[in-house]
Amino acid sequence: MKVIWREAIGGLRRRRGRVALSAAGIALGAAMLATATVVGFGLQTGFQRSAHAADLPDVIARFDAEPLSKVLGRITALPDLAAYSFRLELTNVHLRGGGHSSSQGVVEVLDSGRRGYGLLEGREPSTHNVEAVVEQGVARSWGLHVGSSVDVNGLEGLRVSGISVSPDDVAYPLAVPRVYLTRAALEARFGPFGDPRVNAVELWLRNPGQLNTVLVQARASSYGIEGLRFVTREGVRVLIDQAAGIVIALLVALSVIALITATVMLAASARAEVQRRLAGIGVRRAIGASRAHIALAQAAEAAIVALPAGALGVGAGVLIAAGPSERLLETINELPPGGALAGPLLACWALTAGIPVLASAWPALRASRRPPIALMRGAELRARGGRSSARRAAARRAAARVAGGRGLLPSLSLLGARLVGARRVRLAATLAVLGVSVAFILLMLALASELSALESDPSTLGKRYQLTASLPAAAAAGVRRLPGVAAAAPRYEAQAIDSFSLGETIDVVAYRGDHTVFEAPPLVSGSRLRGARQAEVGNGLAQVLGLSVGSPLAIELPSGREARFQVAGIVNSLQHDGRIVYVSAAALLAAEPTAGEQIAVRLQPGASESAVSAGLKALGASATPASGAVGQGRGLIEALTAILRAVAIVDGLVCFYALVQALVLTARERRATIAVLRACGAGVRGVCLLLAGAAAAVVVPAAVLGALLERFVLGPAMARLAIGYASLELAAGPAEVTVVIAGLALLACAAVLWVARRATREPIVEALGG
Amino acid sequence: MPTAVGRYLGNVSALHARGVIKSVGRGRASRRVLDGVDLEIEQGELVAVLGRSGSGKSTLLHLLGGLDRPDAGSIVVAGDSLVECSERALTRVRLRRIGFVFQSFQLVEELTGEENVLLPTRLAGAPSGGTERARALIDELGVSPVADHLPHELSGGEQQRFAIARALVNEPTVVLADEPTGNLDSTAAADLLGLLRGLTGLGRAVVMVTHEHDVAAAADRVLEMADGRLG
Repeated sequence: MKVIWREAIGGLRRRRGRVALSAAGIALGAAMLATATVVGFGLQTGFQRSAHAADLPDVIARFDAEPLSKVLGRITALPDLAAYSFRLELTNVHLRGGGHSSSQGVVEVLDSGRRGYGLLEGREPSTHNVEAVVEQGVARSWGLHVGSSVDVNGLEGLRVSGISVSPDDVAYPLAVPRVYLTRAALEARFGPFGDPRVNAVELWLRNPGQLNTVLVQARASSYGIEGLRFVTREGVRVLIDQAAGIVIALLVALSVIALITATVMLAASARAEVQRRLAGIGVRRAIGASRAHIALAQAAEAAIVALPAGALGVGAGVLIAAGPSERLLETINELPPGGALAGPLLACWALTAGIPVLASAWPALRASRRPPIALMRGAELRARGGRSSARRAAARRAAARVAGGRGLLPSLSLLGARLVGARRVRLAATLAVLGVSVAFILLMLALASELSALESDPSTLGKRYQLTASLPAAAAAGVRRLPGVAAAAPRYEAQAIDSFSLGETIDVVAYRGDHTVFEAPPLVSGSRLRGARQAEVGNGLAQVLGLSVGSPLAIELPSGREARFQVAGIVNSLQHDGRIVYVSAAALLAAEPTAGEQIAVRLQPGASESAVSAGLKALGASATPASGAVGQGRGLIEALTAILRAVAIVDGLVCFYALVQALVLTARERRATIAVLRACGAGVRGVCLLLAGAAAAVVVPAAVLGALLERFVLGPAMARLAIGYASLELAAGPAEVTVVIAGLALLACAAVLWVARRATREPIVEALGG
Repeated sequence: MPTAVGRYLGNVSALHARGVIKSVGRGRASRRVLDGVDLEIEQGELVAVLGRSGSGKSTLLHLLGGLDRPDAGSIVVAGDSLVECSERALTRVRLRRIGFVFQSFQLVEELTGEENVLLPTRLAGAPSGGTERARALIDELGVSPVADHLPHELSGGEQQRFAIARALVNEPTVVLADEPTGNLDSTAAADLLGLLRGLTGLGRAVVMVTHEHDVAAAADRVLEMADGRLG
């Protein structure tokens, strides 16, 4: 064994450049795999981990507030109950802290018993003094920490005793800000509440498999309890997994690319190395070395390179992905995996080290099967010629006859293309790797531009107007007459709540006339609203309330009046998480005469926004550009964009590596051909041309393949995955395709120059002998 | 002795080498392969360098062809020095002044015979009219019927003819042949020697290295290589 290691180390010292390239490839593959693993594992296991740490209940039941005594008996009668905990959830509470405030806060007044959240810092609130536990998203966004103070609806200067995480909802600012107080402390300060009112209970079951039975029993005994609805632990998990599924699908695909790339490139490199060493292998076989010895020596060489390179790559992948992954998990109220990630990362390391070892040992084992004398003559691993070669020659002759000459005149670049084409399996594999990488880079760019559009482009939210003007409805006609204005109409907006169950606000939007002229989020099902009794509801609202086409919808407006509608259609909207309703202006004004009024202004194509704004100013109004900002989702979007960028950078490096490796292998295998060319008078430029042809033979079809793959497979697949959240147009545009092609061309030029310099540095005589 | 054609062309020296020294290996393992070689070859002359294996004849040929550089001494081909010139200039000399015929032919396996011949004409700086010259050479060497065959479909003699056509296609002043008959049977070898002889009739200087006395006997002049020197 010692001999094998000594041989391996000697072999590596003799070819440092090639070893460095192989190490770079292994490190890159490992980095891709680790990046995907860090984010994928974090998301895949995040909910279970956080739910366990937070002691998340199996069921959360919410209902209209009732005295505790009325509910207690029904809860204790439920079967299989391990524990329960009551709370009073107060919504639309004014919260203030760290210089920030919100009037949509949720205060959870906790009873004794289990909490259903995990403490990241600090301790539980005191039962004597009123203290608050703050949800970690609020703490992060508002800069709060243990010991800070918050104001809760008149209760000023409450000390923050702890920072919590609760995976039953996403974190602030994706969700409303949430703080926890204890009833005991409030009673200590304000006196006993008597029979306190509660509107939520958390239930822990002895056997979560009995969940359905418990729910059936709970519903059966809910007579007299209004607005009852259940959120189950499994239901929350499914919702979060659906959202994370998009990212995980992307990362699994990325891991597959990483593995294919690593396997193809390293196997090709190992094969070329074995080919170069055939004579040496032949000599060793001739003097009695066993086949196992030959294969082990090759494997040992690969292991010496792969183990540290794989570790380096895994480390780099963790460094690249850990930050964005942690931010993403924080935004959805999940905990980072911490030490649990060690196992998957070790598996990544083992995989990225194991593949090169196998890829090196296998061709050596195969080669050593041949007679030593054939090996010493440098026989190819696979016999040349044969039927396929004869077919190619016949095809070449036929092409020459068609061309009317006695042969196709080769240019150096055409020769380069032919040299690459001679290894058809490798060419196909390289094309596949590059094509898929290009497709993914295009997808990343398309996704990134869609994400930034969500923040800045109102049209992605279905808004077709560009400006709003603070003018009365009567001014609409005057606005329409302004140059550059295509359409203008009064727009009314009010905030309402669902009459039955939803504690959160709903945006109610109305126009005089056809609202789709100004706002037309994509219709998922049903039809556009017709008449004062109909409404179009956003997908977020439809999901929360379980609405479908034809369902009744009752909303309570700030005036206290109730408006009832029938759902005509469901639309895809990201505005206010899809909690939006479009109704007719007449219906809204009838229930809420003081609804906010503006003029929505749609510009003519090419019209100047600033010129129209000046015109509106002249009418006495201030113009406001329509915003596309998904304000509450900004954190999530930024985290996702960071991940996309990291993935795109690693993907770009893979392209570069695949190109360099393809050219290096071609140059290595055809060193004699390059030497002959140089002997005939070709300089660095000639060799560059040859390699440029080889690079073009790979890059051009890969770019076409990648663009087609993105447009017809990946883009539509990703858009389908995201359909529940937004209507995304994920076909890369001309600008993105141009950027990717230019980038590929640049990478190809860099690869050609680098490999050409290497190839021309080798003495011609040595290369001819090789 | 200079040939009749050489005399007719005015005894212009096609290749001139003085005090060429070349060592291989480093440190203690260093070995002087060429130890002050002097050589002058005129246009239209066929010279054979004879020697045993490892005597340094191939090394000499590589230095004369600008494929390698000597440690000391001077080499001039058709007035161009191969020693005190840049890599770019050396490349240009190889392109326009020197044609190389290798023992193992070194045809590019993806290209047909004709395409192999055309290859040097596609290099930047190659003299114009390469396509016509290539076709003429292929006709002249009698390999037109197999011009569109790939190398592995050709016999050894045919491959060597294409290799010679490739060496000649840019009209070099000097043709250098390394064991040109090494991979040929006796009939093909005799044909090849006739071809090389024919080149001298066109005014080209031909230097071939061989270890076979029979082959060397076909040359105008035979120089024997021993202990790093030409005798």
